Amino acid sequence: MSTSAESIEREEKLQGVGCSRKRKEDPRFIQGKGNYVDDIKMPGMLCAEIVRSPYAHARIISIDKTEALALPGVHAVLTADDLKPLDLHWMPTLAGDVQAVLADEKVVFQMQEVAVVIANDRYIAADAVQLVKVEYEPLPALVDPHKSMDSDAPVIREDLIGKMDGAHSKRLHDNHIFTWDVGDKESTDQAFEDAEVTVKENMFYHRVHPCPLETCGCLASFDKIEGKLTAYVTSQAPHVVRTVVSMLSGIPESKVRIISPDIGGGFGNKVPIYPGYVTAMVASIVLGRPVKWVESRIENLTTTGFARDWHMEGELAADNEGRIKALRVNVLADHGAFDACADPSKFPAGMFHICTGSYDIPNAYARVDGVYTNKAPGGVAYRCSFRVTEAVYVVERMVDVLAQKLGMDKAEIRLKNFVKPEQFPYPTALGANLDSGDYHTALNKVLDAVDYKELRKEQEEKRANGELMGIGIVTFTEIVGAGPSKSCDILGVGMFDSAEIRVHPTGSALARMGTITQGQAHQTTYAQIIATELGIPSEEIQIEEGDTDTAPYGLGTYGSRTTPVGAAATAVAARKIKAKAAKIAAHLLEVSDDDLEWDVDRFKVKGVPGQEKTMKDIAWAAYNNLPEGMEPGLEAVDYYDPPEYTYPFGAYLCVVDIDKYTGVTKVRRFYALDDCGTRINPMVIEGQIHGGLTEGYAVAMGQELSFDPEGNIEGNSLMDYFLPTAVETPHWETDYTVTPSPHHPLGAKGVAESPHVGSIPTFTAAVVDAFAHLDVTHMNMPHSAYRVWQKCHELGLDKAK
Amino acid sequence: MKVDLDKVFEIDGSEKNTWTFLQDIPGVASCMPGAEITEQVDANNYKGKVRAKVGPATMSFEGDIEIQEINEENKSLHFIGKGQDTKGTSAAEMDLTASVRKGESGATELVGVATVTVTGKVANFGGRMMTQVADQILNQFGKNFANNVVAMGEGESAEEAAKVVAEQPKELNGLAFAWSIFVGYLKSLFGK
Amino acid sequence: MKKTAVSFTLNNEQVDVLVEPRELLIHTLREKLSLTGSHIGCETSHCGACTVDMDGISVKSCTILAVQANGSELMTVEGLASDDGLHAVQEGFMQEHGLQCGFCTPGMLMRSYRFLQENPNPTEEEIRVGLSGNLCRCTGYQNIVKSVQYAAEKLQAKEEG
Repeated sequence: MSTSAESIEREEKLQGVGCSRKRKEDPRFIQGKGNYVDDIKMPGMLCAEIVRSPYAHARIISIDKTEALALPGVHAVLTADDLKPLDLHWMPTLAGDVQAVLADEKVVFQMQEVAVVIANDRYIAADAVQLVKVEYEPLPALVDPHKSMDSDAPVIREDLIGKMDGAHSKRLHDNHIFTWDVGDKESTDQAFEDAEVTVKENMFYHRVHPCPLETCGCLASFDKIEGKLTAYVTSQAPHVVRTVVSMLSGIPESKVRIISPDIGGGFGNKVPIYPGYVTAMVASIVLGRPVKWVESRIENLTTTGFARDWHMEGELAADNEGRIKALRVNVLADHGAFDACADPSKFPAGMFHICTGSYDIPNAYARVDGVYTNKAPGGVAYRCSFRVTEAVYVVERMVDVLAQKLGMDKAEIRLKNFVKPEQFPYPTALGANLDSGDYHTALNKVLDAVDYKELRKEQEEKRANGELMGIGIVTFTEIVGAGPSKSCDILGVGMFDSAEIRVHPTGSALARMGTITQGQAHQTTYAQIIATELGIPSEEIQIEEGDTDTAPYGLGTYGSRTTPVGAAATAVAARKIKAKAAKIAAHLLEVSDDDLEWDVDRFKVKGVPGQEKTMKDIAWAAYNNLPEGMEPGLEAVDYYDPPEYTYPFGAYLCVVDIDKYTGVTKVRRFYALDDCGTRINPMVIEGQIHGGLTEGYAVAMGQELSFDPEGNIEGNSLMDYFLPTAVETPHWETDYTVTPSPHHPLGAKGVAESPHVGSIPTFTAAVVDAFAHLDVTHMNMPHSAYRVWQKCHELGLDKAK
Repeated sequence: MKVDLDKVFEIDGSEKNTWTFLQDIPGVASCMPGAEITEQVDANNYKGKVRAKVGPATMSFEGDIEIQEINEENKSLHFIGKGQDTKGTSAAEMDLTASVRKGESGATELVGVATVTVTGKVANFGGRMMTQVADQILNQFGKNFANNVVAMGEGESAEEAAKVVAEQPKELNGLAFAWSIFVGYLKSLFGK
Repeated sequence: MKKTAVSFTLNNEQVDVLVEPRELLIHTLREKLSLTGSHIGCETSHCGACTVDMDGISVKSCTILAVQANGSELMTVEGLASDDGLHAVQEGFMQEHGLQCGFCTPGMLMRSYRFLQENPNPTEEEIRVGLSGNLCRCTGYQNIVKSVQYAAEKLQAKEEG
């Protein structure tokens, strides 16, 4: 390949891979021309509002709609009884369970959907909701998952009584959902018996909510003449929604069109299918008019897609030098009243088997038991690949606990146990196959950057003065890019993704993908990949996603799968076009393919200056001057089924200062080094990392959905639920190394979720480290000032001298 | 959420009058700020409503009161009140046993032991203030109750009390009430 | 419900509209006047996605009744750019990657627009405090701060130039 100044200049003009290209999405957003679900209006559109239960567990005695129906402007009030004849009162969840669309005879979580009111506008609908009279008979609420399997526990799911063959395993109790385990239990138990040192810690990864700034919504419009249902949905997976809607309604999939327009953030919240979407669609079918449902913030936080809520017991076995011999983890997973976790079908605990982390651990065993409680369903991957945050949290916490027990430095113990560069690809004890990594380089780079030794020295001095300073270190490995269809599917559809590229006669291109952006700048970055592959300037490549009538089928954007799967499909599709282009070029230049070499945006005849055809020339020829027998046109589709997952990693370090009198924890410094393989757009990557770190900060330091013993959710509005402002948010320092994935066409691994996954245990580690000299080994999140103060108080640190 | 309340009010009146008034369900209900009995269904069942306004939120509960037991011997009354707010977003239940006794100082005492359970919006938003709110409601109730009993007596203080009773606030309202809750809340923070 | 006639200046144009007395300004703007740039992200005045400019101050239009806007001068994100092109804050957000999903952006821009008139030469700390009534879930604010700094410099240069 030529590297002349001229060709470098041409390459720069393309704005391809590696360029911090400005975003294509921005011009419309900064001028108020975004097009989100609630922005869309249709002639004759009606508004839906949902009647919800004040009880966490109650039998519905009666529903009286008379008064609501009498209100002028109200068109319908639908209950489960109305949906029954259509068999739409229950729907399948992504986790192999079913969920009530509208409560069928009883309610099983607070604010569950009981009825839906359809009216002319949102004000009338809200009035009518108050006029629907529902009589309940309260039942005892089951809130503590540790009591779910008690013999006298109230049975939450009466529809499942006697059905002991669960979707994933035998059920051991009416409130039990599944047992999932992985690893060699026997060898692990043995390693613990033989170990010189063992540590054990119980930790609660609390219930949180992704809380994107735009809530969930749907505008459904059923065309009675064509028999076609069109729905604008806030969905991270529009094609999956189409398949489910078709299966549920019996409308042929060709007559269901799902459009994900601009989406105001997803973070996992917009993966599942919610009763609100279904009721809007049903109402539109029944009434023959467009119906819009958009949830309020309170509804969003209370009823749609929570994350985490895992009670974890972690254990490590090691020798006296700190070499880890075995990991054992037991988890009690609170899934709420319906198992609506968004995981690949065969993975009820997601990708939790990554819990051996970045370490060379010979023996491991993990077991997860899912149970029902009277809480909202969910279990989505909040800015992470499925259950990866939980996995990283447990192993990173345990490594710290072990270091404290052995009196070892927390960086040193990691360097000692890392999988070494020459061990890749590295098969873990729990069945992951780490593709590539260089963990030592990453951590050492961070330690040097912050002058780690000096920090520890300062900490010693502070401790001597009775001050609290903590240093948290986390070296995480993620598993993303679900996934290989031999093991990964959602409702039976393999988790491939797709790209379709068309090069027009004059050389510009249109590409459509099965993924959907929610702020990740797909319109910008996909074009960069195609630009580099085909030599067409990014500016001349139009990217479209989200409309199931036009885009190829794909599983959507979540779990950091867009770069590992969607971008791979894009590169492969582009390479198919390039292969055809080479043949056309050879034909035009009257040489054989072998005589050609690619140079940025053109094929050249090797050794013959001036003999060349640009991609523009080739595009034109593709429509009028082809080799004999070749099909006209220049386009390709690729459905990319990844051979493996990708494993991004990173090393994070956080320094906190804690006021022992108030518990206020100040993040003095946060240094984040990420390795996501090949970097497609460094500016976008940096932005994603800032965002992920900030969401991690929110989870670790304040976000929590808690419940009282009666099942009342405590704090389900932004009055209580912690979304950090610019004032609380720390300043982030970022860094990177590049270790390409060996199996990805571009070497890229995915990035947006690493900072969330990696930062959360870093904050906990830093807070706990501040108390480590006082024999504190773990503190549960969120590390709000009050809770940190409680620890200071318990230790008597808040007493004035 | 559940709040357990345990209250003793000193009543400036006889045990007999206190017990007599305690059995007057509509009368007792009207001592509860914002509460009233709207219908007597039978000897032991009443319908009533409670209106509470704290800050910007107004909640109007409608529900049933069922007398579980009237024990002449112990001078005690046990009832359960259950209601839902008219907007369907909240529900409340109160299980109350009230009794009359002679206190250690010799004065008549009204003893109330109650469990209040609230669900829905009122718990979501007001959960943390619930103990203080309930406490303030009961304090007002105690005052009103005492005045009613005093008014059953004779003399100047009875006339005075009767006047106060007539002016009894009809709903839980206003800044003064919010303020007293706030003060109670602060006390609870620093009292421990 | 009986409607009331309300008049105001919106993005330099006179507007007359019939509203319910209880109608929130954000609903009038979005649903009656089809200016969907301002968004609704909560119902408790916390997120600031609905921030508009009213008589020279930033207001959260989810907390203002449409009738309260009678006679006032309103500006929304749709009125930010002029015939001369984008406003400096719009340019700043684009140059410094100050947005991702775009949902908070109109509110952020309107707050920045007003904030830079209140404080034309702010420190980073002042920007963070000045924008603390607006929530963003995507950016972590660091690039938003840079965007506002970019706009401040640009506006200063314009003033001096």
